[in-house]
Amino acid sequence: MGLQAYLILSAVIFSIGLFGVMTRRNTVGILLGIELMLNAVNINLVAFARFNADVAGMVLTVFAICITVAEVSLGLALVILLFRTRRTALADHIDWLKG
Amino acid sequence: MSLDVLAFWAFAVVLVGAALAVVLSKNLFHSVLWLALALTGTAGIFLMLDAEFIAGVQVLLYAGGVVTVVVFAIVVTERLVGTKLSHTSRNVFRGALVATAFLLLVFRWITLTPLPLEKVAVTGDLTKAIGASVLTRYILPFELLAVILLVALLGASYFARPED
Amino acid sequence: MSAAPDLLVLTALLLPAGAFLLLAVVTPLRRSGRLGALVSVAAMLASFAAAVMAWRAFGAAEEPITRLWTWLPQQQSALASVGVLADEQSTVMLLLVTLVALLVQVYSLGYLADEPAPALGRYYMYQSLFAFSMMGLVLAPNFLQLFVCWELVGVCSYLLIGFWYRKASAARAAVKAFWTTKLGDVGLLIGIVLLWRLTGTFDFAELKTLATAGTIPVAGLGVITFCVYLGAAGKSAQFPLHIWLPDAMEGPTPVSALIHAATMVTAGVYLLTRTAFLFALTPDVLHIVAWVGAFTALMAAVLACVQSDIKRVLAYSTVSQLGYMMTAIGAGFASAGFLHLLTHGIFKALLFLGAGAVIHAVGTNDITRMGGLAKRMPQTAIVFIIGTLSLAGIPLFAGFASKEEVLGAVWAGGLTVPFFMLLTGAFLTAFYMLRVVILAFYGSDRPPAPVEHDAHGHGPAHDAPAVMTLPLWVLALAAMAIGIYFTLHHVEPEFVSPAWLTPVAVSVATAGILLAWLTYQRRTINEEQLASMFGPIRRAALAGFWVDDAFLFVYRLGVLAFSKVIGWTDRYLVDGVVNAVSAWTVMAGGGLRRVQTGRVQDYVVGVAVGVILLLWWLGGAQ
Repeated sequence: MGLQAYLILSAVIFSIGLFGVMTRRNTVGILLGIELMLNAVNINLVAFARFNADVAGMVLTVFAICITVAEVSLGLALVILLFRTRRTALADHIDWLKG
Repeated sequence: MSLDVLAFWAFAVVLVGAALAVVLSKNLFHSVLWLALALTGTAGIFLMLDAEFIAGVQVLLYAGGVVTVVVFAIVVTERLVGTKLSHTSRNVFRGALVATAFLLLVFRWITLTPLPLEKVAVTGDLTKAIGASVLTRYILPFELLAVILLVALLGASYFARPED
Repeated sequence: MSAAPDLLVLTALLLPAGAFLLLAVVTPLRRSGRLGALVSVAAMLASFAAAVMAWRAFGAAEEPITRLWTWLPQQQSALASVGVLADEQSTVMLLLVTLVALLVQVYSLGYLADEPAPALGRYYMYQSLFAFSMMGLVLAPNFLQLFVCWELVGVCSYLLIGFWYRKASAARAAVKAFWTTKLGDVGLLIGIVLLWRLTGTFDFAELKTLATAGTIPVAGLGVITFCVYLGAAGKSAQFPLHIWLPDAMEGPTPVSALIHAATMVTAGVYLLTRTAFLFALTPDVLHIVAWVGAFTALMAAVLACVQSDIKRVLAYSTVSQLGYMMTAIGAGFASAGFLHLLTHGIFKALLFLGAGAVIHAVGTNDITRMGGLAKRMPQTAIVFIIGTLSLAGIPLFAGFASKEEVLGAVWAGGLTVPFFMLLTGAFLTAFYMLRVVILAFYGSDRPPAPVEHDAHGHGPAHDAPAVMTLPLWVLALAAMAIGIYFTLHHVEPEFVSPAWLTPVAVSVATAGILLAWLTYQRRTINEEQLASMFGPIRRAALAGFWVDDAFLFVYRLGVLAFSKVIGWTDRYLVDGVVNAVSAWTVMAGGGLRRVQTGRVQDYVVGVAVGVILLLWWLGGAQ
């Protein structure tokens, strides 16, 4: 399969993840969407690395995965803290910065 | 239909299906499980790209670690279980519209760009190459990564500390 | 005197200015009262001496002498200059101004002896400033300096009328004087500017040259001279701008003597005399001047007959005499008006200072509450009678020659109706002045004055102290000297007056005196019957012919209504626009604020849309 196929696949996953971020009510659900988006990016990186025979892309993917892990843990910690203080984990209830 | 193409399509279908299920599921816990499947599918795609090491990392860290953490978070916070889609998702039309528009534009961009069709021949072990590269050329980001992980660890434990 | 006249007049001008600056800046000197007063009087005395020397020195010279300094420089010549112009008229006028100012300042030492020291210092500061401004006006070589000093004189008048500023009526009178004269001053300013536009110069000498050479375009000159006349009408209290002068009596009596008898009010007459060469080119305006002057003279004389306040009688009398001067100018013989100005300055100041002595002694202005003062204040009575006879125009007294010359000028100018108005006015003048004299000083069969002791609360009414009677005698002797001189050396006027003029004028005056004597002294004619004979006129006169009310009506209608309209426009249109803009801003803000929902997902949508637009715009082609 050519590079194009992988890129299209990655774009599809990214869009699905974007959709999830924009629509899910639960904060954790939003984080799941973010996960999908990051995954799509990783696919992109690896595909380019493979088709251009450049290992840098793969190295970058490893880094991206590690950083994603860190980000997810922090994000979930925030969600837990939010739930503790405000008793809600729903994104549409979190509107205290409303103009 | 060569094995390559078949395998690719199989993984792709699984991936996309699982992704859709993640965002459209009415049960959050189910979403997490579907995510685990999606991540595994991604690992399969990585295998198709001869990136065994990455696939392994993916399964270990993502499907193993992240999903576990998310499950714990769900357990600690509220669990939203709904009967209709509107219980778990809002503004679906708006989201679908934006996502579709985005997809179409990227798609157009991709198809308009000349891209290689054949994989370049690879000599030597990719995993070895990654390792060598990380420890020579990318040593600095590697160390910084360690710092980031430490910082994230500290941050997360501070945020989630017991109430006092 | 070998010193040049221009230097002498300059000295005379600057001495009171120095006194003013000294009193204004050195506060302890001003607050010390008497010391500051003495500084001012000393400066005035020196100024008078300089004026006398200047007058005598000028008698030898023929041509006017000027001394100028550039004020607003321009390329070829100065746009405006300041300085002094010494000629016949200005040196004589300077003499009058300095003399009366000096005598008034000396007199005030006694009249205002009871004032607190800071107030006294303030008074003398204003007096010095006034003396300087009036002299600046008299000596002005061009219209600009004249106007500046004109306004300054108005300011001093305001300050001095409202000297007892805590008294509400005095403050109101000061403002009224300022506003009424300001109305005329606007005309003067317009006239000056228009004249400059027409001729390109402010200078009197240059204008005179242009006028005699006939190079001033006559078209539009009438408007200019009329505007200049408006300024004079305001200051010289011509109808209908006369309303401020009677109210100005709220000021101390020496102020009335100086400003509202001898100097400031005569500034208008002086201006017209100075610019007579311009007015000669516009006979129509002169016509207006004459008719308004005659009307003012008669109207004020009628008004003076019904007043019971001694100062108001004298105020209306001043208005009337100013009308005489204006009529003479309007007839085309400005010198006659000027002569009357000089003599009037002397005897009117005398009358006012005499009235001041009476008020100082008796404590009231009301003549109906006075009586029999001749016995107790013989000196004051004598000088007051001298002043009255001068005003009435009796031979051997100061006003005789000048009044006769005015009448002759009016007749020679062919203005018959104004002439008879003036003649009637002369009759009434004699009548009302004698009325005052008899009621205040005589009236033997009236009950004695209820005010047995003077205002100071020590003893019955008596002659004023020497510091006040000395100026009175100086003025009285001056009036007599001038009167005798002019009666014996009859000056040939520019015109031919009919032979019957002198007898007619004298007999008219005598008739007025006789009527007053019969009514008030001998009681042959009942004053009530006399009053009722002129019932409606008397009622109208008591209401001041409703001129004040007319002004008030116009003010309410014009100014207040106009200000209401302006206020409405400001509140609803101007403020409305501003408020509308701000309201829209608030509404827009309220609307735009809804973009900030506070929900993260909405912001993500925003970012995504932005990326989509970027992708669209970048096209996807390489």
